[in-house]
Amino acid sequence: MRRYLGILFVLALGVSSLAAAISQDQSAIDELKKTAVKVYLDCGGCDIEYIKTEITFVNYVRDRLEAQVHILVTTQTTGGGGREYTLNFMGQNDLKGTNDIQKYFSSTTDTSDDVRRGLVKVLKLGLMSYVGKTSISRRISVDYLPPDKAGPGRDRWNFWVFSLTGSGRFRGEESYKDQEADFSFSANRVTPETKVRLGLSLDTSKTKYDIEDEIITGTKSSWDGSGLFVKSLGEHWSAGFFLHGESSLYSNIDLGLTVAPALEYNAFPYSQSTRRQLRFLYKLAVNPVNYREETIYGKTREALFQESLSATLDLREKWGTVSVRASGSHYFHDFSKNQLDLFGIVSLRLYKGLSVFSFVGYSWIHDQLSLLGREPTFEEQLLRLRELPRTSDYFVSIGFQFTFGSIFTNVINPRFGSSRSGGMDIHIN
Amino acid sequence: MKKHISAIAALLVALVALAVLPSGAQPPPAKPAGPPQALPKVFLDWPGADIGFFRVEIPFVEFVTGLEEAQVRVLVTPQGPPGSETFAIEFSGLKGFQGDNNTLTHTPTPGDKPEDVRKGLAGLLKLGLMRYVAKTPAAKFVSVNFQDLVKPTAVVDKWNFWVFNLSANSFLMGETQYRDAMYYGSFSASRVTPELKVQTSVYGNIQKMRFDFGDDIYESSSNGYGFSGLVVKSLSQHWSAGAFLSLQSSTYANLKVGVSAAPAVEFNLFPYSESTKKQFRVLYRIGYTGARYNEETVYFKTAESLLQESLSFAYEVKRPWGMVSLNLEGSNYLHDFSKNRIELGGEVSFRIWRGLSFEVDGSYARIRDQLSLPRGGASYEEVLLRQKQLATGYNYRFSVGLNFTFGSTRSNVVNPRFGNGGRGISISM
Repeated sequence: MRRYLGILFVLALGVSSLAAAISQDQSAIDELKKTAVKVYLDCGGCDIEYIKTEITFVNYVRDRLEAQVHILVTTQTTGGGGREYTLNFMGQNDLKGTNDIQKYFSSTTDTSDDVRRGLVKVLKLGLMSYVGKTSISRRISVDYLPPDKAGPGRDRWNFWVFSLTGSGRFRGEESYKDQEADFSFSANRVTPETKVRLGLSLDTSKTKYDIEDEIITGTKSSWDGSGLFVKSLGEHWSAGFFLHGESSLYSNIDLGLTVAPALEYNAFPYSQSTRRQLRFLYKLAVNPVNYREETIYGKTREALFQESLSATLDLREKWGTVSVRASGSHYFHDFSKNQLDLFGIVSLRLYKGLSVFSFVGYSWIHDQLSLLGREPTFEEQLLRLRELPRTSDYFVSIGFQFTFGSIFTNVINPRFGSSRSGGMDIHIN
Repeated sequence: MKKHISAIAALLVALVALAVLPSGAQPPPAKPAGPPQALPKVFLDWPGADIGFFRVEIPFVEFVTGLEEAQVRVLVTPQGPPGSETFAIEFSGLKGFQGDNNTLTHTPTPGDKPEDVRKGLAGLLKLGLMRYVAKTPAAKFVSVNFQDLVKPTAVVDKWNFWVFNLSANSFLMGETQYRDAMYYGSFSASRVTPELKVQTSVYGNIQKMRFDFGDDIYESSSNGYGFSGLVVKSLSQHWSAGAFLSLQSSTYANLKVGVSAAPAVEFNLFPYSESTKKQFRVLYRIGYTGARYNEETVYFKTAESLLQESLSFAYEVKRPWGMVSLNLEGSNYLHDFSKNRIELGGEVSFRIWRGLSFEVDGSYARIRDQLSLPRGGASYEEVLLRQKQLATGYNYRFSVGLNFTFGSTRSNVVNPRFGNGGRGISISM
């Protein structure tokens, strides 16, 4: 009995001294955390909460100028329909000059958990170049588990990727019901030399209102087939053609077909496209079309020739995002039937905590050739079931955001649900 | 119509064949399958180093003996008097890693034995090599781990974790016969630490719409403003207690002003620290609301005081196979238990097999508590534009989707020519 007590005593002593050692260690580690690398994670589509729970050996800050590393993550769609994440690690302040670029690829069939785990992995590896400069690096281990089987074999699909999607949506309450269904098929083959994209989609929707026992029903349906073929001609030029077939109740088109050869010039090399592009695209289109009802110009069918030119500028930098696009087109049979579209998004991080954004779109429309010959009904107008005559449309949005206070955003507190408090978040892909 | 579709289909099939044929004739250069472990080749430029030791410690690179075949050169320069020297480690990328450079410094703790110094050096070498390993297939088999748990609040923060945010936004759109303008502003102050969460904000919004029917003009305006606050204290890894506070006014809800305060407790079946992976939260709240209405309600009230209780369950799990999120909430008023509401919502996305995935998203609410419904009802236009809350016993929303992708699994190619599909913008407020 006494022996047991003695053993217990020794054991207790051991445990308590261990606990003391641990708590001493803990305060030493908390000390290390204070000098850990300050990171600004600039990624709209990332699961930030997950990243912060998984990577705890850095400090997260909310302002880019405070950070020692600015990680700008840009994404592009891959040929397989997945995403290419480009992680630009940019050293700042005392870590200026230490830069790196890492990539992560997700596939369409990856679940959101696959993607966030993959991104965390690449982030961890990329961060090591900076973490290695702080003393917390002593507490990081790197393990290697070599593979035991050979790599993947050859690609018997020859880069072709096919996808089938079907979905249905239903909404309602006593006086209102809405249903929508769509189906689409796509076949893509993307290599650096050529790009082929084929797609077919069908949409249908029905809305029902019950107002004082009067029932109003609105129906929309359309189908749309498209093809794109592009051949690469060097780092700046590409040539190809667009194919398009459509039928739409909204636009009064029974069947419209378009074949359009096109040429594109990019002022920046295509290899930089995830960060910057300035593209000019010229298109010449042949468009035979059959209308559902007689148009305002008294036509039920016609063949149209159209040319168009568009310029697109996309920039994604540390200080923000700029995306501007201008395009103009006209028909050859009557030059006054033309359209001009302007579209721009500018989102800037101006100074500590202050950011502004604006997006603007304006269209001058003088080419509504498919417009209904008759006056649309009241419901068709209010429910926007039919295209209405217009000479212009626009949208404008301007806003600013100013944040001050603590620069650290390390903490995740999921209690009572994690809702964001105030402010707004703009995410551009 | 059917004839047209089949014509298009035939055209698409012909084009697929056309696109397949030439590409089949000249297959793109397939990536060499090669040895499965294409390890980065490293030249350790440190005369007299015990290379055998580093080979064992760092198995995920191949140490080569000459600079010619190396992809990375690591130059180690001891500085200072022997016995207490520091080591500068200079990493330079060669060949494919050209321009990939970094410098780290190893400062041994005074009194370290030579083995400890060597081990520390190997540890830092590993971290420095990560940026290169990340760009090779070996990255898949490497894992980086932080050996400690650290408090996210272990930082020096003069604002004591308070963050303030001021933002204002406007959104305007229109065309010849239709105009819509929305303005939104908010100020928030929050402080989130693992022990206590405080989130407060004041906000306001105005929306104006105008329809021009030629002989008739319809104009409407709606607005809302308020304050919301949340305080949560952490009691343990599973329990939390707190309160929701709000003050609001809304033309949609017929509320001139409503003030409410609701203490609440929450229990999470899983520890909160695992919340990004799984959570099962049960929240009970009981609240007082004082309301003053814009128009007399269907219950002939212009003002009233109400007590309401609610119980909600939230289950969320995110795993490699997909994710599940389910919510069930029931509430009732204490003055009349028949005034109640029960709401079930859920979202499931599930990868059934490789390229086959399935998604369901929906909610259903049984509503018996529309106490603020105006007696006067809503106008025909207000119904169609969904600008007023309407009497209903239920509402639902349901969507289901199935996606099947097959074909090449190696199409990580990005080809930005002729655009990469539309730009997505998402704004959340």
